[in-house]
Formats: sequence, C-alpha cells, structure tokens
Amino acid sequence: MSLAELSMTEAADAFAKGEVKAEALVQTSLARIAAHNPALNVTIRLEGEAALAAAAAADKARAVGIKAGPLAGVPMMHKDMYYRAGKVSTCGSKIRQDFVADKTATVLMKLDAAGAIDMGTLNMAEFAQNPTGHNAHYGHCHNPWNVDYCTGGSSSGSGSGVAGRLFYAALGSDTGGSIRLPASICGVTGLKATQTRVSRHGVMPLSFSADNVGPLVRTARDAARFLAITAGHDPYDATSAREAVPDYEAALTGELRGLRVAVCATSFMDGADEPVVKAFEEALAVLKAQGATVQYVAAPSMAAINAYTAVISRAEGAAIHANWMRDYPQDYAIHLNARLFGGYAMPAHYYIESLARRGPLLRQFVAEAMNGFDVVATPTVKTRVPTLAETDIDVNPENWSRFMAVSANTRPFNYLGLPTISIPCGFDDRGLPVGLQLAARPFAESTVLRAADAFQQVTDWHKRSPLA
Amino acid sequence: MEPELVVPTMEAIRRWSGVECPNAAARHGLADMVGLIAELEKLRGTMVFEDEPSSFELAMRDCMEPGA
Repeated sequence: MSLAELSMTEAADAFAKGEVKAEALVQTSLARIAAHNPALNVTIRLEGEAALAAAAAADKARAVGIKAGPLAGVPMMHKDMYYRAGKVSTCGSKIRQDFVADKTATVLMKLDAAGAIDMGTLNMAEFAQNPTGHNAHYGHCHNPWNVDYCTGGSSSGSGSGVAGRLFYAALGSDTGGSIRLPASICGVTGLKATQTRVSRHGVMPLSFSADNVGPLVRTARDAARFLAITAGHDPYDATSAREAVPDYEAALTGELRGLRVAVCATSFMDGADEPVVKAFEEALAVLKAQGATVQYVAAPSMAAINAYTAVISRAEGAAIHANWMRDYPQDYAIHLNARLFGGYAMPAHYYIESLARRGPLLRQFVAEAMNGFDVVATPTVKTRVPTLAETDIDVNPENWSRFMAVSANTRPFNYLGLPTISIPCGFDDRGLPVGLQLAARPFAESTVLRAADAFQQVTDWHKRSPLA
Repeated sequence: MEPELVVPTMEAIRRWSGVECPNAAARHGLADMVGLIAELEKLRGTMVFEDEPSSFELAMRDCMEPGA
C-alpha cells in the first residue's frame, strides 16, 4: 500500500512503531498536493518547508526514544478559519484576506500537543456560509471524483483534500452540515459531535448556537481518535461541555449485532433521488445483514425544526456580519450577501422562539424518533451530487432552491445538537459518492462511531480513491 | 412575480439595520422567505410562557443514553 492510502490512524500508528518516517509522510502529502491541487484548488496557505522541518524534528525525537503523541508525524491541513497566532486566517473571504490572528484556536493547540503536523490552511466557502463549496475570491474547490461537480461545503478543501489523499485529516466546521456535506459528497468520513463537545475558542463564528468543530478523515476510527484529542471542556470557551471524554477508540468493537436503527422515512427521504435511495437502502441491508435491526419511524415536528433552524442561522449570521454588510457589501460574493441580507428581516421574537423551542423539540425528537433505538439513519444528502454550475447563485439566482436543498438532511441535526456522522455508502449513477448519516443521542458519539466503524469493517466504500 | 413583501422588507431593513439590498439575488432571497413566514405562522401558539433558550442545555443532558 502506498503511504498516501494510509488512514490517519494507520499513518500515526506506523510512525509510532517506527515503520515510517514523518518526513516520508509529509513528502508524500506535498507530492500529492503538487500533482492534484492545480485541478482541485484545495489549499489557501501551504507551508511545506515548515512541515518538513516539523517532520524532521518528529523523526529525531522518535529516534532518541521520546514517546510519540497519538497523532505524531501525521500531516494535516485545516479549514482557513482556525486561528493561529501570527498567521493569516482568510475565512475564505476578501474582507479578512489580511486578518492576522492574535490567538491560537484551542483545537489547534490540542492537535499540536498530539504531534500532528500542520501544513497550512484550506479553501472553504466564504465565511463558511454555503453548502456547495463555491468561493468567488479564491476560486471554487473541485470534487476529486469529477471536477465539474461541487465538493459540498462549507469545508470544501477539507473534503476534497482528504478524499484526494492530499493529507490525512482536516478540520472542518459544521453549522448546517458543513462537515458532513463535503464528507458525503467527496466520499470521506465526517463527524459533527454533540453541540458544545469541542471548544470553539479561536474559531471564526458563523452562528454561535449551532457552530461545531470536527474532523474530515478517511475512517470512523480516525474520527474517534481525532475527537478524543480535541473534545472536552475549555475554560476559554464557556459554552464547551463539561461531560467526561470517553475512550472513543475503545468503543469500536466492530459489532453491529443488536444495534437498533431508526429510519426517518418522512422528511429525510421526501424527494430523494433514486440513486441515493438505492445506495441508502443497500447500506441498511448491510446493517441488517450484520445483525442490526432497522425500523421505519416518523420524525416529529420537522417543519418546526427546519423553520427554527433557518431563523437561528440567518439571524445570528446577520448580527455577526452587520458592520461589514453596511460598510463593505461589495466585498462579499453575491450569494453570500444575498443570504445574509434576509437575516435582517427576521423579527427578534421569532429568533427567541427558535432558541426557546429547541429544548422541547429535542425532547420530542428523542422520545418519538429515538425511543428504543440507538441511532437514526438518513442519507446525508438526499439529491445526487450537483454540478458547480447548477448550484451557482452568483451566476443565476434561480439556482437558489437547488443550492439550499443540498443541506436539507443535515441542518436539523444542528438544531437538535445531536452527534452525527457521515460515512461513504456507495455511488450515484454519475459516479459521485453517496453518504450515510447516523445520529445518536446527546454525547453518544461512541455509539455513532461504533456503528460507522462496524459498517466500514464490512464495506470498502471508504477505501475507494478518486485519484491515482 | 415578486411577492408583495419584498419592497417594504427592504425598506424596513434599511431603516432598522442600515443595510442596503446588495443585489438581485438578495431580492430573490427575500422573496423566498414567503415560505418561511408561512411555516412560522403555522407554529404560532406552540411556544409556552415558560419556554426559554437555556432549556436546551438541560434537555441535552436529560436526553442522553440511559445509564450514560
């Protein structure tokens, strides 16, 4: 197996055992980036020399017997909205093209402490505000399975780069699906943990009620290790959860027997494209064949959940961007200032209602859709992967509904705050990936990771590589 | 045809927030809000007097897996 085909955990474990040098891993990544980035447009800031120096230091430390961290020697790149003191974080925007952070995100410090090698930053939707990966300022990111198709957003570079084997893991962020969408559309694994599970200190805000930090990686095992390192209370983020962080990798038993799967046929399947339904049903068949039980249930109050989700994300986004929307509206992409503009029309009482109803609606969803079940399963994206052209609002506002449809199945789980993963489960009739989305109760990341890992033990969708 | 709400909403945004309508897509987005307004109308009466935002954190803890 080539080094590029190793998963994050395989690369880390190989380094720890002395089977591979960090320098070789970084050289592999740099060669892949040189070969494929011109077509994919994944990177914003690449620091190859610094990465090689960090790799040499890691190799030297291991050679003298210093114990390696759980991600030691593994090259990563991250969505360009994670602040590192002294470095530019563009947030995918023109407005922040010269913004130099004065602090380092807690999640980056935790990855540094685990020995990960940070090679730079990745393309993303402007201010993480679209589900497709379009970017008017740094160029659109392209899907490695077919460059005419969108990558999903907003963590576009993270999805495309991990799928293209340009690096082994990447941070994304997820407010309405921005980790799970590029994971599904590019054919990798993406985890959005429980709301508040991972610190957001030093991370660009989009909608503080729904923002989440998380990884795009090859496998559920990768996601488990990544989450174990990054989760936990952070005194610099007062909203971060105080629940203990379990050993997620220890929960990966490979066992599906006894897993109780609820399928929300209504809402999440309404209007789904046939190739997506086919891949999803085949994934359910795999779960059943391995001993899981699958039962169809009705998801309650989805209209309310969807309406309140829209109100919160747009009202909070409007507040955050108000100064720039007054002073520099021309510096936003058309689709973004158009989307933000609607947020100023939201009556304040609906915003408060949307937040106040969140607890009761979570209780209702768990009581009615998850009672007696371990996970809820849906397709991550109910439509086939769209092309960049047919979801480009800057060119044609009539593409609005197709653009918004991309995140229809992911947004509700942000409102509900539930831990949710997307894993590859097949391909559509045009050869683009299809994702299986699994959600569990609050703080039950171990459950979704166990189910996802067990699925990946008996399937090989996550091993398919789009590029030579 | 553009819904009736678009022009007065643009004016309200300008007055309340000082933000001008930036482009045709923004007008299109406002027009698209007719559906959201209809959905919110259907939800009137569902919020009860004691509902408040912090109830979400408590609900998350209460909804954890049994025995967690």
